[in-house]
Amino acid sequence: MTEVIVLNHQTFTMHCSGALFWEEKSTLVVSDIHFGKVSHFRKHGAAVPQKAIQKNFDLLENIVHQFKPKTICFLGDLFHSSINSEWHLFETWVTKTDAKLFLIAGNHDIISPLKYEALGIVVISEIVTQGFLFTHHPEEREGLFNFAGHIHPSVKLKGSGKQFLKLACFFKSNHQMILPAFGEFTGTYSLQPAKDNEVYVITKDQVLRV
Amino acid sequence: MNRDELYTLAENWFQENNWKPFKFQKDTWKAFLQGKNGLLNAPTGSGKTYALWFPIILNYIKSNPEYKTKHKKGLKAIWITPLRALSDEIRQSAERVATDLGTQMTVGIRSGDTSTKERTAQKKQMPDLLITTPESLQLLLASKGYEKQFKDCSAIVVDEWHELLGTKRGVQMELALSRLKTVSKKLRIWGISATIGNLEQAREVLLGTDSKALENSVLIKAKLNKKITVKSIIPKKMETFPWRGHLGLHLLEDIIPIINNSKTTLLFTNTRSQCEIWFQKILEKHPEYAGEIAMHHGSINKETRLWVEQAIRNANLKAVVCTSSLDLGVDFAPVETVIQIGGPKGVARFLQRAGRSGHRPGKESVIYFLPTHAIELIEASALQEAVKHTVVEDRIPYLNSYDVLLQYLTTLAISDGFYPDEIYQEVIKTFCYQALSKQQWQWLLNFLVMGSQSLQSYDEYKKVDIEEDGKFKVYNKGIAMRHRFQIGTIVGDANLTVRYQKGGFIGSIEEFFVSKLSPGDIFTFAGRNLEFIRIKDMQVHVRNSSKKTNKVPSWMGGRLTFSAQMSELLREELYKVASPNPSKGGELSVELKSLKHIFDKQQEESIVPKPNELLIETFKTRDGFHHIFYPFEGRGVHEAMGSLLGYRISLLSPITFSLAFNDYGFELLSDQEINIQQVLDNDLFSTDFMLSDLQKSLNATEMARRKFRDIAVISGLVFTGYPNKGIKMKHLQSSSQLLFDVFRDYEADNLLFQQAFTETFEHQLEEGRLRLALERIEQQEIVWKACQKATPFSFPIITDRLREKLSSEKLADRIKRMTAILTKK
Repeated sequence: MTEVIVLNHQTFTMHCSGALFWEEKSTLVVSDIHFGKVSHFRKHGAAVPQKAIQKNFDLLENIVHQFKPKTICFLGDLFHSSINSEWHLFETWVTKTDAKLFLIAGNHDIISPLKYEALGIVVISEIVTQGFLFTHHPEEREGLFNFAGHIHPSVKLKGSGKQFLKLACFFKSNHQMILPAFGEFTGTYSLQPAKDNEVYVITKDQVLRV
Repeated sequence: MNRDELYTLAENWFQENNWKPFKFQKDTWKAFLQGKNGLLNAPTGSGKTYALWFPIILNYIKSNPEYKTKHKKGLKAIWITPLRALSDEIRQSAERVATDLGTQMTVGIRSGDTSTKERTAQKKQMPDLLITTPESLQLLLASKGYEKQFKDCSAIVVDEWHELLGTKRGVQMELALSRLKTVSKKLRIWGISATIGNLEQAREVLLGTDSKALENSVLIKAKLNKKITVKSIIPKKMETFPWRGHLGLHLLEDIIPIINNSKTTLLFTNTRSQCEIWFQKILEKHPEYAGEIAMHHGSINKETRLWVEQAIRNANLKAVVCTSSLDLGVDFAPVETVIQIGGPKGVARFLQRAGRSGHRPGKESVIYFLPTHAIELIEASALQEAVKHTVVEDRIPYLNSYDVLLQYLTTLAISDGFYPDEIYQEVIKTFCYQALSKQQWQWLLNFLVMGSQSLQSYDEYKKVDIEEDGKFKVYNKGIAMRHRFQIGTIVGDANLTVRYQKGGFIGSIEEFFVSKLSPGDIFTFAGRNLEFIRIKDMQVHVRNSSKKTNKVPSWMGGRLTFSAQMSELLREELYKVASPNPSKGGELSVELKSLKHIFDKQQEESIVPKPNELLIETFKTRDGFHHIFYPFEGRGVHEAMGSLLGYRISLLSPITFSLAFNDYGFELLSDQEINIQQVLDNDLFSTDFMLSDLQKSLNATEMARRKFRDIAVISGLVFTGYPNKGIKMKHLQSSSQLLFDVFRDYEADNLLFQQAFTETFEHQLEEGRLRLALERIEQQEIVWKACQKATPFSFPIITDRLREKLSSEKLADRIKRMTAILTKK
């Protein structure tokens, strides 16, 4: 269900949901949930199944329950678009959560930071700590290891007998790791791994190094 | 004026033009003036437009005796054409009749190409005779006060009905007609169709099942005996002719004498990319044709297309490389010869293309068949037989297309609104929805209003509202606007327009192709080499380039399958090879004789099957273990049989397949070897539990997922975006693939999701034909050949890159095995 990786003497656990847990700091990192996407579509006349809404919250609750983090850091694109009824669900979730919440704003995060701050969520553009740089868009910066989202990375695997698989993944290079999108109803973008990349694909219940 | 006087008017007109009306024309005039509806079966170029424009105008004259001096304004008739490229031709013939008979009737066109200015003018005052497309007619139903516009309309003619029948645009037409029947009290409904297998059904679909309109209707057949000669271009050196391929460029030099010997030649290709390549190559090898050959396909801009069409008429061109875009309408007298490159996959289409040459009544039509690979010569041989016996296929109409119905109901809701009870009565009288139950209807209404089947808290779903008196209406301007835009996109991928940086529209290509380009890449389009600069606001910016390239846009368009009749002819041809029987007319055709070399090669490793044999070949290559089955039933049946068999084998032990299909057989490719003996011992070709096994195999493959794409677009679940406004709508874009997963996981009983499976069964897999095929196989002897290497028969299949997947293995196991060979740069 998980896979552990050590960076700068710090321990990070990759979870099959796409979340990343930083043990020493008790921090859960989650990227690209796109809350409100289903409701946004529905509001504009496209009847995406409502039941899919609850799923994202269930996933988040499960993962928080499992790791019991002191801090949760959203790596951007927390909400898909402007405010809608899913905000209520999010509010409810926030009030039930003990962890300190950070949002690194992404390109989709167009809801006013004041709204987040009212819920006690800190909205910032990036976090730099202990040689790590947390951003939404992948970035290279001298001397820092970057954790980012935005891309929704996946890889294509090729097998004998003309077999292909496309799977969401954690995509790591020497100074960077791109997290998969956490949310349901979010697509992926295929990356072509180079020699110095490490790729961890996620399935329903496993994280596998390929 | 009485009826005889009216006929005299018409016949005098023919006489003045030194023509004589055909019997079918006179029959149609009579039936129309008697107030009947009908279906006219007549080929292109037979004078079918005059068969219907005349009675429409005569009818006006009859009810307006002072027609020469007084003009009674308002819409009198609608002419529907599936291709807007044809509308100009139709307008000319209408204007000619209207003017020559001395009426003051006006003729107008309304299509995607009509300017906003003209549309506004039409809104104020409709022309008397309106030429339009199915989509534009829907758009008229989406405008306020449409009932008044159509009130006095006396006729609607659906031209090329065979092209619409069997498509969702046909369903769109059925629905529009169901509404017009109520709105226009004096409406006569007429269809014009080329010859297809199910003409009677075509009439029923047009007029409505068990309807008064159908009762009061006729089927008129233009019996024009046209001689069609089919000639195959046979490679001089069979030994070096490829076993596979789809371009046919090897035979390029063989068409040069044909082009030179004829006034104008049309070269029909099966895809737009093939069209681009042929055009390019001919000019490259024969620069002397510069200015004398042209290209015509659906993605090229309208001006160029019109220019090409006019140039054909004026006999300015030696040859035109084209696609199905020139299949229909448009009378091209100078065309003397037609060349079909690659299998046309249908007799009706082949005949229609042949008919493009010698386009005057009584003239012989000549069509050359140019094979793109050796095995296709068997197809050529079968086509000869088909033409000889006029074997044409059916066009299968859709049933219960919920997506189109949802689109239609939204259309009515954005114009004047609708009352469900009234519309339900109209809808269930159509062929498509004859079996629509009250429950399904209620489901659709709930879906429109609530986006689900029950009201839930916190839901902001917004589309259609219900007024106090029960009228369904759309208030939201954004929804109305997006819907109007979406009507036109009943089929197709997201299309991007291609422009020069400084302006200048070249055409449109699919996003799928553009997504693979990086700035600086050169590609061939519309006969030019273009350098890709960037994509901006749904536009592809390019500049001319002198560099050479082999990148040609591919348009996804579905692959066609052989009809049952054509597959049978193909089998019969092939069986002649193994058991020739010259006394019973079984002598080998020229095409088959020329394939001797191939058949010999086939027999070295394997066999050429006899009528009572089903051939299975197995062999190993670098790609893995190939298992190939040859039922010769056409692509559709092979897709079904391949999935069924793959699924059944996967139950025996965990295995993963990649499946490929063509018209001759199908392949199960795997990294493991299948024990064929086990397949035979377990009776895996059995028809028992066929349906449920096939259903389960569909969940394992991605066929239904692909069908869902169109359904999601048509029903408005996926919004494809406005042209030039791309970015603003970005938050509303999603792929139908994602939606498919969400429906599968959360709302599998959704009718639209279910429809994807039903459509796959009925339109792609042809369940009925599968059963017959399996029954035939049960009578056959199965011959299993374990070969050392690929055989000539197997070659076109194993090299096919369009594949289906099926697996019964654990995902993690597959990942682990693939990991070893993960492609690293």
